[in-house]
Amino acid sequence: MPRGEFLGSLEQIVMLAVVRLGSDAYGMTVRREIEERTGREISIGAVYATLERLEAKGYVSSFTGEPTAERGGRAKRHFEVEAAGLQALSASQEALKNMSVGLSRRWKRA
Amino acid sequence: MSPSTLLRAQWLLTWLMPSAYAEALLGDLLEERRLRLDAGSPAGVARWYWIQLASSLPVLIWASMYRRSSFLTLVIAVASYLAVGGVAFVLRTALSPMTTSMFARTVIDVLLCGVIAMTAAGYVAALLRPGAAPLLAVLVLVGASLMMVLDPDSVPLWYEGSFLVLGSLAPIAGAALSRRWRKA
Repeated sequence: MPRGEFLGSLEQIVMLAVVRLGSDAYGMTVRREIEERTGREISIGAVYATLERLEAKGYVSSFTGEPTAERGGRAKRHFEVEAAGLQALSASQEALKNMSVGLSRRWKRA
Repeated sequence: MSPSTLLRAQWLLTWLMPSAYAEALLGDLLEERRLRLDAGSPAGVARWYWIQLASSLPVLIWASMYRRSSFLTLVIAVASYLAVGGVAFVLRTALSPMTTSMFARTVIDVLLCGVIAMTAAGYVAALLRPGAAPLLAVLVLVGASLMMVLDPDSVPLWYEGSFLVLGSLAPIAGAALSRRWRKA
């Protein structure tokens, strides 16, 4: 598989959050999902920078929703994972899994 | 949150990212702030808001620099040009005690310090951004030309001429070396 198809760890985490959230995936929900599931604090800027990079690669797409009052009249930007994104995500997860085979005993010892 | 603070934040974010993203990001911050206000103290929520904005800025600045690749190329070229000064100084300090002759010193200065430092800078710049090395060569050409015009008597003309030619070619040679290293 070409080297460029592997995703970075934050890219994988953000894409997994988008997949999990489905039609409710936008900046705030993605950020909260990551914090809740990983316990890792992440800034909204890091989420958007990652999503923008993934969109440029064609792995996610986005569209603007309706503006709402609780957002100060600002619209949401909804994200969804594209087929190429799912493929890249699956390939990256598979690569990690293959690299980890047989190493669990070493981690337990550490 | 005062409207003027929000406007300033929006202006900055719009400069750093596409406007649709900037608007969505600010909307997300306001929406989560509202949710947090229902559950926490206003002071804690204000702190959270500012931490979010402050921690987002470095990431967004970096992303913006990458998006504007020409700007990043310029930054790398200028940084390399400035770094050359430091490298040349170290080389000059290390090599100058080896000779007392003015001519030998100047040769060391031009041929070794200037050219080696410029080649190294071109090499590193090309590794970071392929377009940065030619830009560095242009900066050297402009810098050396300005030195010749503004301060013609400080060093011999042959020194200035040599530096103008060799100093400009050195970053290109560095870039060629880095391409060769990449291929290998």
